[in-house]
Amino acid sequence: MNSINQIRVTRFFQSVLAYPKTIIVAGLILILGSAIFIPTLQKDTRSDAFIPPDHPALIYRDKVEDIFGLKDPMVIAIVNEGETGIFNPQTLALVDWLTQQIESMDNIDHERVTSLATENDIIGTDDGMIVAAFFEAPPKDQQQADHIRAAVMDFPLYLGSLVSREGDATLIVAELIDQTQAQEVYTSLLELVERAPTQPGDAIHVAGEGAVSGYMGAYIDADAQRLNPIAALIITLILFVSFRTLRGTLLPNFVVLATVGSALGVMAAFDVRFFVITNALPVVLIGIAVADSIHILSQYYEEIAQNPKDTPQQIVMRTMEAMWRPITVTTFTTMAGFLGLSLASVMPPMQYFGLFAMLGVGVAWIFSITVLPAALSLLKLKPSPAYRTAAQLNAVQLSVSQVDRFGLAMKAFGSWVSRHHIVVLFLALLVTVAGVMGATRLELNEARIDIFQKDEPIVKADTLINQKLDGVHYLDVVVETPQAEDIFKPEHLRRIEALQRYAETLPNVNGSTSIVDYLKQMNRALNEDRLDAYQLPNDPDLVAQYFLLYSASGDPTDFEKEVDYDYRLANVRIRMDTGVYTDEKVVVEAMQHYVNDHFNTAGISANLSGRVNVDYHWIKLLGASHFGSVAVALILVWMMASFNMRSMVAGVITVIPVAFSVLLIYAVMGFSGIWLAIGTSMFAAIAIGLGVDFAVHTIERFKVLIREKQHSFDEAIEILYPSTGRALLFNFTALVLGFGVLATSEVVPLIKFGSLVAVGISASFIASMTLLPALIKAIQPAFLYPNETVASSVSHNKVMEANDLTNTTQKEKNDETQKEPV
Amino acid sequence: MKHKKNLFNQLLVISISTLIWVNLALAESDQLSGLEIAQQVNARDEGEAVSRNLVMEMIDRRGKKRVRETRGFRKYYGAEKRTIIFYLQPKNVRKTAFLTYDYPQVDDDQWLYLPAMRKVRRISSSDRGDYFLGTDFTYEDIKKEGKLGIEDYTWRKIGEEIIDDHHSYIVEAIPINDEVAKELGYGKVIYSVDSNIWMVRQAKSWDIRGNALKTVHTRDIYQVQNIWTAHTLEVSNHKTGHNTRFLFSDIDYSTGVTDDVFTQQSLRRGL
Repeated sequence: MNSINQIRVTRFFQSVLAYPKTIIVAGLILILGSAIFIPTLQKDTRSDAFIPPDHPALIYRDKVEDIFGLKDPMVIAIVNEGETGIFNPQTLALVDWLTQQIESMDNIDHERVTSLATENDIIGTDDGMIVAAFFEAPPKDQQQADHIRAAVMDFPLYLGSLVSREGDATLIVAELIDQTQAQEVYTSLLELVERAPTQPGDAIHVAGEGAVSGYMGAYIDADAQRLNPIAALIITLILFVSFRTLRGTLLPNFVVLATVGSALGVMAAFDVRFFVITNALPVVLIGIAVADSIHILSQYYEEIAQNPKDTPQQIVMRTMEAMWRPITVTTFTTMAGFLGLSLASVMPPMQYFGLFAMLGVGVAWIFSITVLPAALSLLKLKPSPAYRTAAQLNAVQLSVSQVDRFGLAMKAFGSWVSRHHIVVLFLALLVTVAGVMGATRLELNEARIDIFQKDEPIVKADTLINQKLDGVHYLDVVVETPQAEDIFKPEHLRRIEALQRYAETLPNVNGSTSIVDYLKQMNRALNEDRLDAYQLPNDPDLVAQYFLLYSASGDPTDFEKEVDYDYRLANVRIRMDTGVYTDEKVVVEAMQHYVNDHFNTAGISANLSGRVNVDYHWIKLLGASHFGSVAVALILVWMMASFNMRSMVAGVITVIPVAFSVLLIYAVMGFSGIWLAIGTSMFAAIAIGLGVDFAVHTIERFKVLIREKQHSFDEAIEILYPSTGRALLFNFTALVLGFGVLATSEVVPLIKFGSLVAVGISASFIASMTLLPALIKAIQPAFLYPNETVASSVSHNKVMEANDLTNTTQKEKNDETQKEPV
Repeated sequence: MKHKKNLFNQLLVISISTLIWVNLALAESDQLSGLEIAQQVNARDEGEAVSRNLVMEMIDRRGKKRVRETRGFRKYYGAEKRTIIFYLQPKNVRKTAFLTYDYPQVDDDQWLYLPAMRKVRRISSSDRGDYFLGTDFTYEDIKKEGKLGIEDYTWRKIGEEIIDDHHSYIVEAIPINDEVAKELGYGKVIYSVDSNIWMVRQAKSWDIRGNALKTVHTRDIYQVQNIWTAHTLEVSNHKTGHNTRFLFSDIDYSTGVTDDVFTQQSLRRGL
């Protein structure tokens, strides 16, 4: 069986080397064939995109939005902090002008633009009721403006929702016809604000959920266009430093092209959207794709250095025979990590991220074992200046190639670790304890606006609006009754009123609106505008007649947001000044309790909805989903490593450095107050998938050196560090700098994500180079030292046999390569 | 006697039809202008006073329906027009009544009687472009009752068509200026005017920004006491998805409508 395996591998590479040009052309066709779809990629920056489309909270919210015609709006705030606030002729003229301009903009539903210039006042007179605009034309003098101020301040419904209670800010709320075109509308709004006739003291801000989605599209575009080239450039630079040859610098880029091109191309072909977090995918793939190449090229140049007179085919053949196994193992363990992310995540963007990262890793592997050797076999041998040949060196030390100072540094590092392995283990224990402590301080939280940098205008606008007014984060409470016109019943209306009063006692809730507020205003207006008449009417028929009366002057759609057409459903909109999950959680949970315990009865019931409720539900999912994906990724990686090395202990030792790195990231997050949020939650699965490579390469080499060549531990260290260790150093540098590029992103979650993954990868590299060898030295595991342990169990022997079978290929190869330079 | 009257009516119809035919022939040779067509529409008799039942059906974009049954009276006092509508159904608005005095120059007066309050309340005069009692008709549409606001638009005949099996002129009406357009809420209206009886069979309107706004379809047109009368009006609002249907019945132009119907006492008293 052993020889069959070896023959298969040899045959495979023989056929690769027999048709190198065909393979290169096929590779090119594959890249072009998938890349051709990339232009059809569709962006999706909606926050709803993160929620499983079949989530009940989302489905209910969509239904509610349809019934009450609610949409995520653009919110334009006009602020004047002068003596008169916004109630002066100039500022009100500005509100009027902006309203008219916005109404005539493309993709704005001009019937659903709400501002002081569009809204009606309900005023009582001696003999009747007037429903009239606050102003038909902007006021001519301050006296008229004062009049408008008095009218608005006497209309409780708009205080806090449309005009700030201090009178220094007012909103224009505009709904879009097509929400997917938010980016264009946001841009034209900014242009409009630029040319608006503002007077000194007036300031205009654009925010709102519609604006956030709109701006995010542009924000991400700009970011991606900047980040990806930088990442590619940095990686190229690392390749050059590592190999100092043209082929060593360019060939891996070909693999990168194939990996990124095919992953994005297949995404586009299957109509998967480009989400906010997908922005990290190309950078992740660039880092991964280059790793296999680094290991192959390192081996290739070592082979050249040792046997400069061999043919390119011979060199490539030996390189691939030595490297196919570690590369294959790391590919499968990395894929297992991404599979874990994809399987355990409930959020479509993350599921797809895992899936397409897996695909990319697979493509990188295929290209690394076919196109790369094919290309190398066509090129004339040319030693790398980084690897001195044995002849040049003129000294035969150990059977290891002679390398540059990077290799020497690694060698020195290795012997330090070997000498101080107890210190290393002790330090690791300390870090583990700190990690556990940090992890307990980890906070699950999210705030959508935090995607942007703090100094972005949209962030300032959002902060300001939430400060000056009641807030633009809405929790909707949908009231249902069994029969049409049941909402008219006074007992139901009073129940809704009580619910509103309760909601307003909760933290961060500043106001609420329902049909109750309009009925009270009408009741007051019809009772000579007496303040004590600001209460609900007692007669259901009177309620019906109020609505009829209102329809004599108002628009048919005026109460669309508050009550459905047959008066069976009503919506209560609760305004909050924060979009932070932990704050929303308090309110949502309190309201749910209230509804269950104090509101629902046989004749009336309520359900929570709105953006706040939806966010609450899916971010709650995020926590479970995160720890699930970490667990699944670790288990899958462990299984894959155990299977590949035919030893469960080897699997455990492989997983330890990445588990250690995850713990360290938790510690960093816990101690520095970084939230476990959408962006950051993905770090773990990715750090596991990538970080495990270091351990795999190290253990694979240990096996060859200790188990097969019977080197002592210290000898093995001296050989391993300058060669495998050096390759891992460059592999690690490529990854860290690749993710480091994300830290220069403008998208805040990507910065955090990139930095955390960089920390994780550093941790697993360092652990693989320190903790892992120290552990091996301390426990002398059976899969490396079969003769020194009592081989008592049958299963253990089986493992050994399995090891023998798969490793003989390498052993023979290594014996062969070892002899030649001597 | 009755026979005689019928015969007289028939003769009248024939003579009017002949007249129209002659007009039509004339028009074809003279190319009747858009304005002339509009004038023909406005010259049509609609009776000095009328009493009728009106069922208003309003359907929102999701298919939910509100039905209001009313009985209404309308009478001209020269250029002034008085209208009263008594609600019959549903029960919770029964006896609610709505009285309007439309004056040719100044703002109209409106009162509403709320039986649950036992009070007559004056309500603010409506803008011409405001929607009427939650329907898709504007106050201007209701006030004109099928006639055209000649002075508000510039008129142009743009074609002919057969609509509901009747030959019609297609007339385009563009508001004379932006102010009027804003007041009316229309940027353009295209009327299909029956060339035989000079009734508008269909009106399509666009908003100020040129978006399709509404289509009004006039159906079940037949004579009541010699007056061509539409018995069904259907409006679809293309922007909101809202629909309104007016169904008229028991139309009577001949029985006198007394003046004391149009008073606040009558509002309170009900039918």
